[in-house]
Amino acid sequence: MVKKIKQADIGKLLERWAKDYRIFVPSRDGEITRFDRWDGKDTGFLSIYRNTVVPAKSVFFPVKEEMFSYKKDSTGYQLKVPGPSMSKKLLFGIRPCDASALAMLDVAFKEGYEDPYYLEKRRDTVLVGMTCLRPYDSCFCTSLGGGPGESKNVDIMMTQVGDEYILEGITQKGEELLAGVEYFTDASEADISRLRSVKEGALKQITRKVNVKDITQRIYDVIENKEFWETSAIKCVSCGVCTFFCPTCYCFDISDEKEKGTGIRKRAWDSCQFPVYTKMPAENPREEKWRRVRQKVAHKYAYFPTLYGGTISCTGCGRCIRLCPVSWDITAVINSVPEKVTTESK
Amino acid sequence: MTTSSISERKKFFSQNNVYLPHVCVIEKVIDETPTVRTFHFKFKDERLQKEFTFESGQFGEYTVFGVGEATFCISSSPTRPDHLEVALQRVGKVTNAFHRLGVGAEIGFRGPYGNSFPIDSLKGKNLVFVGGGIGLAPLRSLIWNVIDNRDKYGKIDIVYGARSPADLCFKYDLEAWSKDNTVNMVTTIDRPAEGWNGRVGLVPAVLEQVAPSPDNAVAIVCGPPIMIRFTFPALAKLGFTPEQMITTLEKRMKCGIGKCGRCNIGPLFVCKDGPVFRYDQIKNFMPQEY
Amino acid sequence: MDKILQDNLRKEVKALFEQKKVDLVIGYETGPTKFTTTPVLIKNSEEADRLVINDFITSNLAKMLVKIKGKAGIVAKGCDSRSIVSLIQDHKVKRENIVIIGVPCSGIIDVGKISRLIGKEPDEIDDITREKDAVLVTSGSEKKSLPLKEVLYEHCLACDLSTPAECDVLIGEPASPPLDKVASLAKINEMEKMTAEQRWQYWKEQMQRCTRCYACRNVCPVCYCERCFVEESEPQWINIAPNWQDNLIFQVIRSIHVAGRCTDCGNCERACPVGIPLRSLVRKMYDIVDEMFHYKAGTNKDDLPLMASYETREAEELIR
Repeated sequence: MVKKIKQADIGKLLERWAKDYRIFVPSRDGEITRFDRWDGKDTGFLSIYRNTVVPAKSVFFPVKEEMFSYKKDSTGYQLKVPGPSMSKKLLFGIRPCDASALAMLDVAFKEGYEDPYYLEKRRDTVLVGMTCLRPYDSCFCTSLGGGPGESKNVDIMMTQVGDEYILEGITQKGEELLAGVEYFTDASEADISRLRSVKEGALKQITRKVNVKDITQRIYDVIENKEFWETSAIKCVSCGVCTFFCPTCYCFDISDEKEKGTGIRKRAWDSCQFPVYTKMPAENPREEKWRRVRQKVAHKYAYFPTLYGGTISCTGCGRCIRLCPVSWDITAVINSVPEKVTTESK
Repeated sequence: MTTSSISERKKFFSQNNVYLPHVCVIEKVIDETPTVRTFHFKFKDERLQKEFTFESGQFGEYTVFGVGEATFCISSSPTRPDHLEVALQRVGKVTNAFHRLGVGAEIGFRGPYGNSFPIDSLKGKNLVFVGGGIGLAPLRSLIWNVIDNRDKYGKIDIVYGARSPADLCFKYDLEAWSKDNTVNMVTTIDRPAEGWNGRVGLVPAVLEQVAPSPDNAVAIVCGPPIMIRFTFPALAKLGFTPEQMITTLEKRMKCGIGKCGRCNIGPLFVCKDGPVFRYDQIKNFMPQEY
Repeated sequence: MDKILQDNLRKEVKALFEQKKVDLVIGYETGPTKFTTTPVLIKNSEEADRLVINDFITSNLAKMLVKIKGKAGIVAKGCDSRSIVSLIQDHKVKRENIVIIGVPCSGIIDVGKISRLIGKEPDEIDDITREKDAVLVTSGSEKKSLPLKEVLYEHCLACDLSTPAECDVLIGEPASPPLDKVASLAKINEMEKMTAEQRWQYWKEQMQRCTRCYACRNVCPVCYCERCFVEESEPQWINIAPNWQDNLIFQVIRSIHVAGRCTDCGNCERACPVGIPLRSLVRKMYDIVDEMFHYKAGTNKDDLPLMASYETREAEELIR
C-alpha cells in the first residue's frame, strides 16, 4: 500500500510508533549528524535533508561496546555478559545506501559463527527509509545497484513531495505499520505519479559513476601489480576515516581494560588502513602502505563479492570521498583498474 | 577445509556467546626454552573437560584476565584428552603476562577454532614433518595423534631445527621420537654449538640432505615464515607437488572466528578457512601476504 | 588566488624536470568534489598541467616528503615551508634532496565556513570567487558577498609567515592574508575565560565524539613516528577503545609531543571528521612555546629542535 502524510503530522506518527518501538532519527551532534534516540518531541531533524555523517551501522555496531565484564571472587573468575539491548527499534530516515549496507553487515555477522552483539541489537528492527532528494556530488549509489529512492532493503520507503511525505509499504512488516494509522491518507494516482517523477529527478542528480563491470576479476588481474597500487596509495595518510565512516566496514579490535580485581573486554572500530592492524612480533605482512590500500579496495570490490555471491561491499554513499583528509577518491581508483583481460588481448 | 562444523562447536560456547572464554586452571608449567613455556591446563568445569573435543591443527583464544587475549594452537593431541596443552613464546604484553602465571592460576580459553590437519587423507601415506623453533607446537599435536594410531600411517620422517640447542622445543618429545624405531627423527641446529654433536644446518638444507621420497608422501611444514618460504622450494626440488605440501599459517588474530577482518589473505580468513592450508591453495590467486 | 601563480608554477615545474633538477614534484591537483584539491605526485613535465594553485589548496604536503625516494620538488605555502623546516631540523628530510617551490599565500578559504554562513553545502554552491576583501558566493540565482576574514581558515588569520622564507624559488610576488589575531584566537580566548570545571566539561563533550580515527595525527607533518605511543602495548599508555578520557589524554599528549615543531597549519582540525576544535589545543601550545622560549617553529633550518636542546639560561627555578 502507498500512503500519504502531512509533514506537520510526522511528530504524531512517531509518537504512535514510539509506543511499540524505540525510535532512532538523524540527529545533530555538534557539527555532525548521526542516528540517535528520538527525544520524543522535536521533529526538527526533518530538516537534515542529506545523509548523516556517522552511518546507520553505529546503532547496531557502535564505536565501542562492552563484550563482557569479569571479576575475581573467592571461587575464581566470574564472567558476565551485558544485559540484552532494547529490542524493537525503528530507524526513521535511513538512506537507501545505508540500508543496503546493513543488509551486507547482516550477512557478514551471521554467516559462520553468529556475532551475538550485532545480531541481538539488529533483530526486530524496522527500517523506514527516506529518499534522497539532493544527493551529494560524491554519491555514486546508482553504479552499485542502488539509487536515491531505492527501496529494496527497507520496510517502508518515504519520499518528500512538497510539504507531504509519501510512504510505500515494502515488506509485510512495513505494511502492518502503515495499516490503520489515522494521520495517513491513501495516496492517489496523482500522488504516485508525483512520487515517480520526484524519484526520477533525484536519480538524474547522481553524476558520479564507477565502472564495476567484471570488477572482481579485473582486480584479481592486477592484484600483484605493485606500481598500480603504489600510484593509487601515494597520498593516503593511513588514518581510519574512510573505514570508520563507511557503512559497510566492520573490522574491530578487541581489548581488555582493567580496574582493581575487575575488568571489561571491549570491542571498538578498527581499520585495515592502520599500519599496526596486521602487525605480528615477527613481521607485518602489510607494512607497506600500498598493501593496505590494496586490501581496502580489493576487500570491497573483490574479496567480499567472492565470498558473498558477487555483492560488492560498497554502496556508493560517498562518505569516504567527502571525509578523507586528502580527498582520496575510490571511484577514481576503480575506474583506473584496467578493463578485463580477454584471451584476444593477452 | 572445515572438519567439525560450526554448528557442532556451538556446544562448547560459554553462555551461548562465541566470544566468551571458559575459565581454565593451569596444572603444570614446563620451561621449553628461555622464551618458550608449555602450560598444561584443564577446564574448571569437569563435565566440559570430559566432553571437549578438538582436532590437531586447531587453535584457541587464550585470555590472561586483566591483560588480554591471544591466539595459540592447541599443542596436545586429541588422542590424549586428559588435559590440554599450549606452548607459547613470550614476545609481548599478553605472552609476557602469561609467562608470569603459575600452577593454579586461572586463564580463559575459547575454541577450538579453525580447520585442522586433514588427518583422514593422511592415512596410509608416508609423512614428512618439517618444523622450526616453536613451529613444532601444532605439528606435535599431529605427530602424537599419528603415533597413537601408528598402524594407520606409513613412514614417518621428522626434520626439526632451531637456532641453538637451548632453543629446541619439546626436548622430551624429540627424545621419545628418537627412541621410536618407527620414526626417523632428524634434529638440527642452525650454527655449530659447543657440546652439540648432532647435525648442523638450516632446516630446508637439512631436509634436502635427508631427501625423503615424495612417493605416496605428504609434507607438513610449520615454522617461522622465512623457514616456510625456503622449505617449499626445497620440497619441490625433492619431487613434492604443491598438493603434497601442507602448512599452517600464522597471522595477527583477534576474534578467531572470521569476524574482525584482520587475518585475511585475499578472500580467505586464516582463522576460519585455515590455519591449515595446502600449498596449492595459497600459491596463486591470493596476494602474497604470508 | 591568481591564475598567474598557477601558470608560473607549471612553467617552473616543467623547467625543473627539463633541467633534471627533480625526479618528482609534489603539489595539488583538482579534487574529486567541488572546491577541493588533493595532493598529487607527478613524475614528468607532461603531467605539470595537472598542478593547480587556487583558494582551496588546504593540505600540508610536507608530510609526503618523509621517506620519499629521489629528488623531490614540493609546492609549499608559508605554513607548509615552516613544516618542512621542522622536518629538516629533525633530520627527517635532507635540505639538499628537495626543491622547495614557494607559493606566496593570501589565505585559504574554508568552504565549511561559507557553507555554514549561507546554509548550503559545498556541492550546492555554484561559484566562489575571491575579490579584494570579500568573497562572492553564487548558488543558483542567489549571490552573496562575504567578508574575506569570515571565510578564511582561522589559522590563516594569525599567519606568521605567508611568503615562504626557506625556498628555492618563489612563484609570485609576496602576499599575505588579512590578519586578525583576535578573531583567530577567539575560541581559545573564550576558553581562557571559562573556569577549570567548565573547560573540563567542554572537552569531555568534544572528546566523546572522537572515534580515534587518527586523521589528526596522520595529516600532521611532524607526527612521523614509526610507532605512535598509542600503539604501544608495553607499557600501554592509553586504552585502545575510544573512551573520552583516553581520547583526551591522546590529544593532550600529542599536543605536547608536537610542541616546538607544530606550525599551526590547521590541518589537524581540518582533517577531523567529527568537527572537534583541535586547533584550540595545538595553537595554545604554540603560544605557550612562544611565550616560554620566544620560539616559533620552523623558522630557521639550522636551529636545533627546541625540545631537544637546552641552554643554561633556561634553568628552571625548581631545578636550581
